[in-house]
Amino acid sequence: MRRYVKPLLLVGLGLLLAFPVFSMTYYTMVRTSTPGFCASCHEIEPAFNAWMTSTHRNNAQGLVADCMDCHLPAPHDTVDFFYKKTLHGMKDVAAHVLHGSGGYDRAENRLAAYADIKDGQCLKCHRNILSIPNNRGAMLAHRAALYPAEGESRTCTDCHRNLVHVDRARYEYKQYAPPYRATGLSTLGTRGAPL
Amino acid sequence: MRRVSATLVALLCLAWAVPVLAQQAFPKPKEYRIERGMPKQAEACIQCHRQETPGIFTDWAMSRHASANITCLDCHQAQETDKDVSQAHAKYYDRKDLPFGSREYYIPVAAAVSPKDCSRCHPDESAQYAKSKHANTIEIMWKIDPWLNKGMNSEEERKAGCYVCHGTILKTDKDGNLDRATWPNVGVGRLNLDGSLGSCTSCHTRHRFSVMEARKPEACGQCHLGPDHPQIEIYMESKHGDIYTAFKDTYNWNTAGGAWTPGTDYRAPTCAACHMSGSGKVMGTHDVTERLSWETQAPLTVRPSDFAAFPAKTDWKAERDKMKAVCLQCHAKSWTDGHYEAFDKVVQEYNEVYYKPAKAKFDELVQKGLVSTEKYFDEEIEVEFYELWHHEGRRARMGAMMMAPDYSWWHGFYECKKRYNKFMEMADHLLSTGTKAYIYPNYPGMGGSTEKPPQIFNKKP
Repeated sequence: MRRYVKPLLLVGLGLLLAFPVFSMTYYTMVRTSTPGFCASCHEIEPAFNAWMTSTHRNNAQGLVADCMDCHLPAPHDTVDFFYKKTLHGMKDVAAHVLHGSGGYDRAENRLAAYADIKDGQCLKCHRNILSIPNNRGAMLAHRAALYPAEGESRTCTDCHRNLVHVDRARYEYKQYAPPYRATGLSTLGTRGAPL
Repeated sequence: MRRVSATLVALLCLAWAVPVLAQQAFPKPKEYRIERGMPKQAEACIQCHRQETPGIFTDWAMSRHASANITCLDCHQAQETDKDVSQAHAKYYDRKDLPFGSREYYIPVAAAVSPKDCSRCHPDESAQYAKSKHANTIEIMWKIDPWLNKGMNSEEERKAGCYVCHGTILKTDKDGNLDRATWPNVGVGRLNLDGSLGSCTSCHTRHRFSVMEARKPEACGQCHLGPDHPQIEIYMESKHGDIYTAFKDTYNWNTAGGAWTPGTDYRAPTCAACHMSGSGKVMGTHDVTERLSWETQAPLTVRPSDFAAFPAKTDWKAERDKMKAVCLQCHAKSWTDGHYEAFDKVVQEYNEVYYKPAKAKFDELVQKGLVSTEKYFDEEIEVEFYELWHHEGRRARMGAMMMAPDYSWWHGFYECKKRYNKFMEMADHLLSTGTKAYIYPNYPGMGGSTEKPPQIFNKKP
C-alpha cells in the first residue's frame, strides 16, 4: 500500500500544476485568436478594417470567417495550429521590434499570404464548389482547380484576390452586393499593370 | 393557250414572291426568354442590348455561352476600381426615360474583355495562351522590327496595319474612356488594362466565341497571309487545303474540345488541327509555339528555344515528336519521316546557301561604312536584303513545311535566287568601287514613335 502513496501524490501534484498551465494556455490561445487581437498590431489594422467591410463577415447567413479561419491551419490540427500560431506571433513581434511598423510592406505580405493560404483552408467552408448551376463558368474553373489537367495546377488564390482585403469606402453585404466575380488568373497581367 | 401560259407564269411569280415578301414584311428578331436564373443586372443588360445592339445580342443568343447561361455580365463586369470601367455606360442607369434606367440595375462594366477575364472560367486555355508568341507579339516585334525601332512608318500606318494583328497597348483618356488611338482592337498580343496580354476574340470572334470558327483555316488567315507569311495561301495550295475545300461541308466542326478526331470529324487537318488541337495521344494546347521545331519566320532559321526575341521554353525534339504524332494519325511513319527530312534540307539550304552569305555580305557593307544603319529601308540594298529573308525566304521554307510546291519554288527559292543575285551584284559593286549606297533623301511616311513601349519593357516579366 505504502509504495502507491508516492506515485499518487506525484500524479496529484502533476494535475494540480498542469491544469492551470493548460487552461491558461487554452485561454491564451482563445484570447489571441480573435480578429480584434490581430488588429491590436498597427500593421494589421488596415487588413482588419478591410475584413470588417467584406462579405466574409457581412452576409445574410450570419457566417463570419475570422482571420484564423483562412490564415492558420484548423485548430483541430492541434500541433500544426499551435506551432504555426506561435511562430507567426513570435515572427510578428520580432519584426515589429526590429523594423518598426514602417517596415511592414502590405503589398509584399499580401502576396506572401496568397502563396501561404492552402486550398484546404478555403475548402473547409467552401466544400460544394462544383455544383453552381447558375454559374457554369465557375463550375468549369473549379473543376480545373480541383482536378488539374496534366502540367497545370491552380489554387483558390490564383483567381480569387478580391474577396476580403479590398479597401472599401462602405460596408459590403453579400445580400446587397453586385454578383460576385473572381479576379481571374493572377499570373496573367503581372506585366504592365499593378495587381 | 397563251392566256393559260401567262396565268401560269403569274402564279409561279407569285409563288416565289409571297414567301420573300412575307419575310421582308415580318422581320423576326431572335427570341430569348429569360427562363433561367440570373442576376437582375444581367437581365437588364440583355433586355436593353437586344434593343440597342440587336446584332450583338443575337450573336450571343446563338452562342454556346448563351446555352450555358453565361451572360453579358459574366465577361464584361468590372470592379469599381478597374481602370477601364466605362463611365459613359454608367450614365445610362441615371436615365429615367429608359426602362432599366435605375441604380438598382447598376453594375460597373468594361468594353474590353481580356484573357484574364476569360481565365475566370477557362484558366488552362488562358495560361497556355499567355506563354505563346501570339500573346507576346508586341514584345517580339519591338525587339526585332526596324519599321518600329527606326520609326520608318507613321502611327497611322501602324494602327491600320501592324497593330490590327499584333495588338495595341490599351489606354484610357483623361475622362476614363478607351483611348481612340488604341481602341477598337482585338490583336493577338494586345496589352490590356488589367495587364494581361492578348485577345481571345482574335480567333473566337465576338459575340459567338465559336470553337468551329477557330478550327477553320480562315480564322488564322486573317493575319497569316500576304507576301511575307502566306500560310493561308500555302495551306490552300496544299493537299490538306484542297481536301478542306472539297470536304469541309462534311466536317464536324463542333465536337467538344479534346474530342475533335482526325479521320472521323475531319478528312484533312486545318491549321488548328495540327498546331493546337488534341490528336491521338497529343494533348491540345492554346500555345501555338508548341509543336514547332524550326522558327521559319526568323531571318536565320533557328530552333524555337534559340529564337532570341522570345525563346520558347520547349525542346524542339520533343515538340517535333509531338507534331509527328499528329501526322501519324493519318500518315505512315515513312511518309512523315520523309517529309521532315525534306523540310530540314530546305531549311539547311536556305540558311547556308542564301541567308548566311547574304548576311555576311550585308555586315561587310555596314562595317565598311557603305551602308548606313541610321535608318532602315532608305537604301535600296537594305530593302533587297530584307525581302530576301522576310518575303521569299519565308515563302520557300513555309511552303516546304506545309506542302505548297508553288510557294516553295516559284514564290520561294526562284525569287530567292533572283534577289540574291541582284543583292550580291549591288553589294559587290559598292565594295569594289568603295561607293556609299544611295540614300533616299525624303523617306515618306516616317515619324512613328521609336520608344519601346514602357508598359511592356519596363516591367518585371
